[in-house]
Amino acid sequence: MPLIDTDVHESFSGVRDLVPYLPEPYKSWIDGGGWRGFSQPFCYTTPGRGNRADVQNPDGSASVSDYGVMRAQLLDYHHHDYAVLTGYFYPTALKLQYGLASAMAAAYNDYVAEHWLAKDKRFLGSIQINARDPEAAAREIDRMASHPQIKQVMLAVVDDIAYGHPMYRPIFAAAERNNLSVAFHHTVFAQGPYGMGLHYMERHCLIPIALMPQVISLIVNGVFDSFPNLRFMILEGGFSWLPHVMWRLDREFRQGRVEVPWIKKLPSQHCRERLRLSTQPTEDITPDQWGKLIDLMGTDELLVFSTDYPHFDFDNPNVAIPRALSDDTREKIFWKNAAKFYELDIPASAVPSKAAE
Amino acid sequence: MSRHTICKTSEVEVGLIKPVTIGRSPIILARLPSGEIRAVGGYCPHQAADLKYGCISGVTNGDTPNELTFDHAGEVLRCPWHGFEYSLVSGDPLVPAPANTKGCLRFYEVAIEGDNVIVIM
Repeated sequence: MPLIDTDVHESFSGVRDLVPYLPEPYKSWIDGGGWRGFSQPFCYTTPGRGNRADVQNPDGSASVSDYGVMRAQLLDYHHHDYAVLTGYFYPTALKLQYGLASAMAAAYNDYVAEHWLAKDKRFLGSIQINARDPEAAAREIDRMASHPQIKQVMLAVVDDIAYGHPMYRPIFAAAERNNLSVAFHHTVFAQGPYGMGLHYMERHCLIPIALMPQVISLIVNGVFDSFPNLRFMILEGGFSWLPHVMWRLDREFRQGRVEVPWIKKLPSQHCRERLRLSTQPTEDITPDQWGKLIDLMGTDELLVFSTDYPHFDFDNPNVAIPRALSDDTREKIFWKNAAKFYELDIPASAVPSKAAE
Repeated sequence: MSRHTICKTSEVEVGLIKPVTIGRSPIILARLPSGEIRAVGGYCPHQAADLKYGCISGVTNGDTPNELTFDHAGEVLRCPWHGFEYSLVSGDPLVPAPANTKGCLRFYEVAIEGDNVIVIM
């Protein structure tokens, strides 16, 4: 069966890798050690810390996920057709020095194009931006959009942005005019409504609660209606909450439409038409529970498979999606839904049913 | 059942994982603080991570938030991916396993003959 992995994290060894791609004065600032890059404000507790413990360089040291290791452990091992690179360096997390953040976003995009996208046609790319400067972000989207492997704009979920706010419209306009989707992924700064919690486990449980408000914000503030051709991807934010959010949005819309008349469809219809959610982490639900959830969503065309490689909570494609689900549903989750979302062609030879014809 | 001479007993140390392959089956050897040697199926029963990249740990405990104790060092195997904890004494997960997974480590019988470690499988 073809496989499209919608959440794969490429990386760099540190912000100094961006120096060749930065203009002055930022080049000198970073080269001179003026900033060491983002660091998570907590301690990882699993054996590989933030990563799978087997993501290692040949000498046994922890890898920062270089291409050779990724190819061996992921792309070739699991026979990926496509892997969507989603980064883990999100300049939006820098809360000041917007010029530097926007320059680093551009530098990182150039770094990824040269060191990752160019190495493997199975890679699809995400444009990193500094969303705090929406006009600069829009220019960066326009600059990168012509790259043939670029498919989406990455919107980092931090602790103080709900992307439905009108100030972010230039980003969505740029994505739509370039026929790109927008994807939402948490950062190490994402929070729940009462902060980050007091333990890593607590913080990790709060990640979906940082993604749900993005869906609500986008729909209620009219982003879905203002950009009717734009598609939206929720990455690593869970998916079992979607029925609740759709039901709640629909109910609130019925009783509160008077306030938000720019919403032209039932929110659940917006979600079913143009919102997709990646499956990892799959939360170990049973096949029966998978079936019930899909029934509650009203369609099996909302979920797209992801591994989250190289992170510790990786989902193994051989195990994470139950074989008890119908072949049709599994095909949709593993590749058809993502192929449709990203407008990808899967070679006919890769599809067993067609290869046999 | 067949018997496989794997290594010398001195090669299996408390706190370390010794990966070996029997035929096409990866297994890991680990020595408990009691001296007993465990032979464990090489894939995590949750999502099939390669356990040779895991780590041997102990049990954190505590009844008061933010006050952790640590004991039973050498008796817990943690998965290299998700960090699930398994007792090397019983094979059971420290937290009950998801309903749709096998749940427990797979132990193989171990015999010591002289200074040789024999795995029976």
